[in-house]
Amino acid sequence: MPDNWSYVFSAYGLAAVVLVGYWRRLAGRAKSLAGRGERKGP
Amino acid sequence: MAARALGWLAVLALIAGLGAAFGYAPREAVQGNVQRIMYLHVPAVLTAYLAFALVFLGSVGYLLSRRAGWDRLALAAAEPGVLFTGITIASGSIWGKPTWGTWWTWDARLTSTAVLFLVYVGYLLLRGMVDEPDRRARAAAVVGILGAANIPIVHFSVTWWRALHQPAAILGPGSAPMPLWMKMALAINWLAFTLVFAYFLTRRMEIARLEQEA
Amino acid sequence: MSAYVRRAWMVAWKDVLSERRSKESLNALVFFSLLLLFVFQFALGPERARVEAALPGLLWLGFILSGLLAFGRTFLVERENDCWEGLVLSPGDKSAIYLGKLAGNVLVMILVEVVLLVLFAVFFGLDFTPVLPALAAVLALGTFGLASVGTLFGAITAQMRARELLFPVLLLPAVVPVLLASVSATQTVLAGEPLADAAAWLKLLAAADLVYLVVGVLTFEFVLEG
Repeated sequence: MPDNWSYVFSAYGLAAVVLVGYWRRLAGRAKSLAGRGERKGP
Repeated sequence: MAARALGWLAVLALIAGLGAAFGYAPREAVQGNVQRIMYLHVPAVLTAYLAFALVFLGSVGYLLSRRAGWDRLALAAAEPGVLFTGITIASGSIWGKPTWGTWWTWDARLTSTAVLFLVYVGYLLLRGMVDEPDRRARAAAVVGILGAANIPIVHFSVTWWRALHQPAAILGPGSAPMPLWMKMALAINWLAFTLVFAYFLTRRMEIARLEQEA
Repeated sequence: MSAYVRRAWMVAWKDVLSERRSKESLNALVFFSLLLLFVFQFALGPERARVEAALPGLLWLGFILSGLLAFGRTFLVERENDCWEGLVLSPGDKSAIYLGKLAGNVLVMILVEVVLLVLFAVFFGLDFTPVLPALAAVLALGTFGLASVGTLFGAITAQMRARELLFPVLLLPAVVPVLLASVSATQTVLAGEPLADAAAWLKLLAAADLVYLVVGVLTFEFVLEG
């Protein structure tokens, strides 16, 4: 049976894109919240 | 911060997991290297189940205590849960193409997971459409509780339905019992995914808390 | 205990009475069933064999589509007449309201289903009489499953602007097991096989119905606040 590495890599690649994408979304939201907090002051 | 530590731990575990999946885990006899997708597919679905168990916990917790923390747990578990469910479906489909020749087989697990995906995407859509926090939390909690209670029912109904129409198609390694190296690679990847989920959960809950206090 | 049952009964009876006077919902739903029949026929093409082969699925498609309309309107009366607060402020166990509304919905669905069966029999020259008792059993179990979730989610989406969109989105995935089991059991029954052959599916339906009912009864009060 052929090894079909392209399928393996696309599956892992897709997972990586999704997980990294979510991580970046979280990081972005956390940053904007932190910025907002600083502007509001203590 | 706990989240940071979790994050780094998760990255380490992921690296170990990838190493196991592509390195010392053996090439499977029947399916060839495409079987390595299993090290992604199975841990993803297990993590998704963990996520939805936490959605259930958060839902019940909110209804009983009315403390916002429980609702934040439910939300923070549902988002990554849906992502991991999506990864499960996508990886299962990609695995299926070279193996069975089609992008989609109405295989029992794939179908059940797809239904799960639909249920919890609906959950998130519902959350997005209610502005008032208490109403949103209560509505989401009820949907979350029914969704979780439905999981075994969906599983059985789809499995029986599938058995009626087509012979069982098992997305797994060949009929031989799983060698130890494979089990270990699975376990490491499962741990890695659980850590990633825990990291996402922690950060998402923190963001939700900050948003509520703002 | 009897006060609880009486309250549930009052809710159901009120809805039945107001529906009997106006007949607006029921007429429209019956007409909708007729339309569905035509839509199914046009979608499947002129060959009768295709429709007959797809019959169990078509029946339940018809029931679910009608159910989406019927259940979505469960709290329409209260909503349009500013009576929602009346429900919220009503004394005692709110789950009695759920049961009353559920009973009303089951009744409406059964009427619609009978009409749809008659229409199918007339338009496709089918005879359901030999399998009627078995069919009725499957319909009862499946309808109860649809209605129990439909009534609960109907209450959740009642006050939302996006109600028409969100209600089907929430309901359809949740009732997948009911659909699978009901269609399979209906197929068995319509093929003339004894009901016992569908026993596994019926047990699944019964278990699912029980789970949905319990969740509905336990969580309804939380839906009905404010």
